[in-house]
Amino acid sequence: MNFFRGVMGGQSGGTQPSGVETIQKLCDRVASSTLLEDRRDAVRALKSLSKKYRMEVGTQAMEHLIRILQSDRSDSEILGYALDTLYNIICNEEEEEQDGITDRAGHRQGGAQTGQGTDRAGHRQGGAQAGAGSQAGAGEVIRNDGLLLLQQLTKGNAAIQKIVAFENAFERLLDIITEEGTSDGGIVVEDCLLLLLNLLKNNSSNQNFFKEGSFIQRMKQWFQLGEESGGGWSAQKVTNLHLMLQLVRVMVSPVNSPGATASCQKSMFQCGLLQQLCTILMATGVPADILTETINTVSEVIRGSQVNQDYFASVNAPSNPPRPAIVVLLMSMVNERQPFVLRCAVLYCFQCFLYKNHKGQAEIVSTLLPSTIDAQSISAGQLLCGGLFSTDSLSNWCASVALAHALHDNSNQKEQLLRVQLATSLGKPPISLLQQCTNILSQGSKVQTRVGLLMLLCTWISNCPIAVTHFLHNQENVPFLTAQISENLGEDERLVQGLCALLLGICIYYNDNSLENYTKEKLKQLIEKRIGKENFVEKLGFITKHELYSRAAQKPQPSFSTPEHMLFDHEFTKLVKELEGVITKAVHKSSEEEKKEEEVKKTLEQHDSIVTQYKELIRDQDAQLTELKEQVQLLTRQKEQMDITITQQLSQIQQHKDQYNILKLKLGKDGAGSQGDVQVNGVQVEELTALRVELEELRTQHTLLQTQLTEKDTLITSLKSEVAQTSEGSAPASDNTKLLKEVEALRVQVQSQQAEISQLQSERHALQRRIQTTSGSGSEAEIVKLSELEQRLSTQTAETHRLQEEVRSHSESRAQLEKELAEANSTVAILQTEKSKLQQEVSESKKEQDDLLVLLADQDQKIFSLKQRLKNLGETIEDEDDLDARDQSDEDDDEEDEEDDGETE
Amino acid sequence: MAYAYLFKYIIIGDTGVGKSCLLLQFTDKRFQPVHDLTIGVEFGARMITIDGKQIKLQIWDTAGQESFRSITRSYYRGAAGALLVYDITRRDTFNHLTTWLEDARQHSNSNMVIMLIGNKSDLESRREVKKEEGEAFAREHGLIFMETSAKTASNVEEAFINTAKEIYEKIQEGVFDINNEANGIKIGPQHAATNSTLAGGQGGQQAGGGCC
Repeated sequence: MNFFRGVMGGQSGGTQPSGVETIQKLCDRVASSTLLEDRRDAVRALKSLSKKYRMEVGTQAMEHLIRILQSDRSDSEILGYALDTLYNIICNEEEEEQDGITDRAGHRQGGAQTGQGTDRAGHRQGGAQAGAGSQAGAGEVIRNDGLLLLQQLTKGNAAIQKIVAFENAFERLLDIITEEGTSDGGIVVEDCLLLLLNLLKNNSSNQNFFKEGSFIQRMKQWFQLGEESGGGWSAQKVTNLHLMLQLVRVMVSPVNSPGATASCQKSMFQCGLLQQLCTILMATGVPADILTETINTVSEVIRGSQVNQDYFASVNAPSNPPRPAIVVLLMSMVNERQPFVLRCAVLYCFQCFLYKNHKGQAEIVSTLLPSTIDAQSISAGQLLCGGLFSTDSLSNWCASVALAHALHDNSNQKEQLLRVQLATSLGKPPISLLQQCTNILSQGSKVQTRVGLLMLLCTWISNCPIAVTHFLHNQENVPFLTAQISENLGEDERLVQGLCALLLGICIYYNDNSLENYTKEKLKQLIEKRIGKENFVEKLGFITKHELYSRAAQKPQPSFSTPEHMLFDHEFTKLVKELEGVITKAVHKSSEEEKKEEEVKKTLEQHDSIVTQYKELIRDQDAQLTELKEQVQLLTRQKEQMDITITQQLSQIQQHKDQYNILKLKLGKDGAGSQGDVQVNGVQVEELTALRVELEELRTQHTLLQTQLTEKDTLITSLKSEVAQTSEGSAPASDNTKLLKEVEALRVQVQSQQAEISQLQSERHALQRRIQTTSGSGSEAEIVKLSELEQRLSTQTAETHRLQEEVRSHSESRAQLEKELAEANSTVAILQTEKSKLQQEVSESKKEQDDLLVLLADQDQKIFSLKQRLKNLGETIEDEDDLDARDQSDEDDDEEDEEDDGETE
Repeated sequence: MAYAYLFKYIIIGDTGVGKSCLLLQFTDKRFQPVHDLTIGVEFGARMITIDGKQIKLQIWDTAGQESFRSITRSYYRGAAGALLVYDITRRDTFNHLTTWLEDARQHSNSNMVIMLIGNKSDLESRREVKKEEGEAFAREHGLIFMETSAKTASNVEEAFINTAKEIYEKIQEGVFDINNEANGIKIGPQHAATNSTLAGGQGGQQAGGGCC
């Protein structure tokens, strides 16, 4: 808040210490009181002091007030006091403050914070509305205070305008406007609209933000006026709509950058805003001032935008039969009973419709041309002619200017308009429009009429030599103009004199010397004799020196405080600016100078033609150059390809040579120097070695099989011998050990049994002896013993049988082994046949090799011939030895590749 | 045009580092070698696409001069992203980064994504600040880093888009409160479709109430 102190510094003498102290106390209370009531009272007291002690409250209380806005936002009363206080401080400050950066900084903090406060208040407002009605009243107060405060803050301060916009003000304000019923809403809507105007007017950054935020689309709903509100045009609604229309105009103002305006115009058409405005334009019962502002708004929405202009041309009034809106508007323009501002608005609309619109200009002029005149309906052309020649000078002026706008920057239409013929009273021949204009001019009508007509004529014939010739062709025109200029007339006539001088000047400047009496030279002589150069230039200067001239030059919209002031047209002022200088120069120039200039011009033209000739030459050469470059490129590409083939062939040659050397070496080693085999293809050598290796493998396989066979043979023989041994029952073979052991065991058993038998026999002997002694009493026991022995014998014989059985099974297994041997023999036979097959293959490949040798010989021949050709072409072929050395490493790789190929074959 | 999200950016940094040129290159794809000093702030906007979603960027280009500092500070709080720009050919602009960063951190919401930009990368011969230094500064302070050239348009798109990507990711992670517009993020009309219809309905009721 330094700036406040700074401002205060100069005035400190006038402040009362008591006030400062009171404020200090109040501030302390605001800052330190815990009770809301105390704080509220303190802020209320500050509010009451804020008007008288603006500076003091501003320096001391601002921070506290801002804190209150944030911390006590739940209490609407204290918020209201705080906002009021801030409003008092800042709003009165406005006039004294000059924009300094520090000022802005101070402002900013107030602005941003209160902006926030308002947003919150706005939010709260929504909630309050949903609740009790009484509370809504309180919320409204704060919101409205906030709006007023922001209005003050944003006036003429771009930085604050931007900050407020950044804090989403557009969105909030548009929401409030919608909530409040748009144009039907009360003063709050008006406040919102005023704030929006503040934020957007002359602030391109905010305008861009507004457009980019798609807020233009939201403006559309403002203009959806229901028909039901019959007679419901309250003063508030008119004010609101007026502001809404102004907001639209701010976005598409001709003073904005062309790009920005164009993009806004585009989106206004795309979202239907323009269509909505045109509906109002054609609606009935719209108050005149709203209608006027709507026309002005439509004008600026279509100005210079072809799409919007085309749309406007297609709008029809809902009359029966339907008439184009343009025609209906022009009817108002040439109607004396219509309000002046409305007529100006229509003229502006017409101008904007034709601004940079060649198509529209042609359409308007065509309604005047004989071929297209439609007698049935009223056309724009008819209305303009009617206005041009009516008794109402205002209509004359408006129609002249309107018609001039159909000709601006359009030499084609200037020529077309020369064709227009007017039917005068019966029995007289038709008269041209140009003639009629000059006739009226010479009849000495009102200044307004003559100014209008002179502006039309100047626009018409400027930059159009044919029109100049037409104008000069009328013998009365030049004398009339010279008379007007040279006469010493009163103050009112000065502007007419100036315009006459301009018209005559145009006749000189755009003269093509086609009329012998009125060549440039003759006209200049005329000026010198009849008027005097200095006098002429002075009269010409009357135009720009006119008090109304600079006003008209400021902006395109025609705005005049009274109908009498309606003298200058904006576009015409541009034309004057453009021509005044060149005409002055043209008049001052002597004939000699002119001749010199002509000569210079001619030489320049000659130079130009020479330059163009050279340019063409250069262009031709350029084309040739590119063609040749292309050729060169093609040839170099071909050469590269040739080089590649050559190197390929060289490497091939090298390869062959290497192979040749290898074969030679081999042949030397082998001693088999048969001359036919001298040149052997390397590939085949490799093949041969491969086959040899294969053969070797097969041989080893064969020997392996043979050893296996012998092994098998030995096995068989050993088995045979074993079998023989087993059949003899003695020789212990590895397979028969078990049997042998068994046999051994049996033998042992037999021995033990024999021993038992002998023991028994001895026992028997002993018993026989005892029997002999004991007389036949023991014979029975002996029989039992005998039978026992016999039983034993039978078991033993059975066992012998079993052993014999076993021997037989052994002989069977031997037979099986013999069978296996036979099988092995047959495998050997198969392998032998395979071997013979392979040997056959070897012989076949040898044959192939011979074929390849023949081929190789052919290739060699070819290479030789190619080499010869290369030599003939002038290509130097490197020494063969060099090639050997260089290609050695490459060669190896190639050979490997080829080896692979050979194997896959 | 319909968009899924709207992000507010600010561009900050010393005077003459090329803030306005970066914005112009991004919005208009052109370079203006002679540029007036920015007074206060200037606004620019462009639509981009991230993850198949249309995102509208609203960018406030601030004045670098010290005298405007108090004005430009007002914009920190409502921004979701900030481009902090220095000039690689002027060491002092790099040295001031700490001050800028302190200022930004103090006045912005804590989630604001800050992209550090070393501009004028086309003037390699006059370079005073190494790329590594910029990288190190960014690493140290948790910023994204890029070197750009508003003149050749190198990395300009990327700088704006990568910042948006970072914000977008933060939204996906739920870091940003997207319903609070004070964070510099707004959900587009079609995404808030349910909300807006509700609000519209309420608005209608209120309007009706007003009539009665």
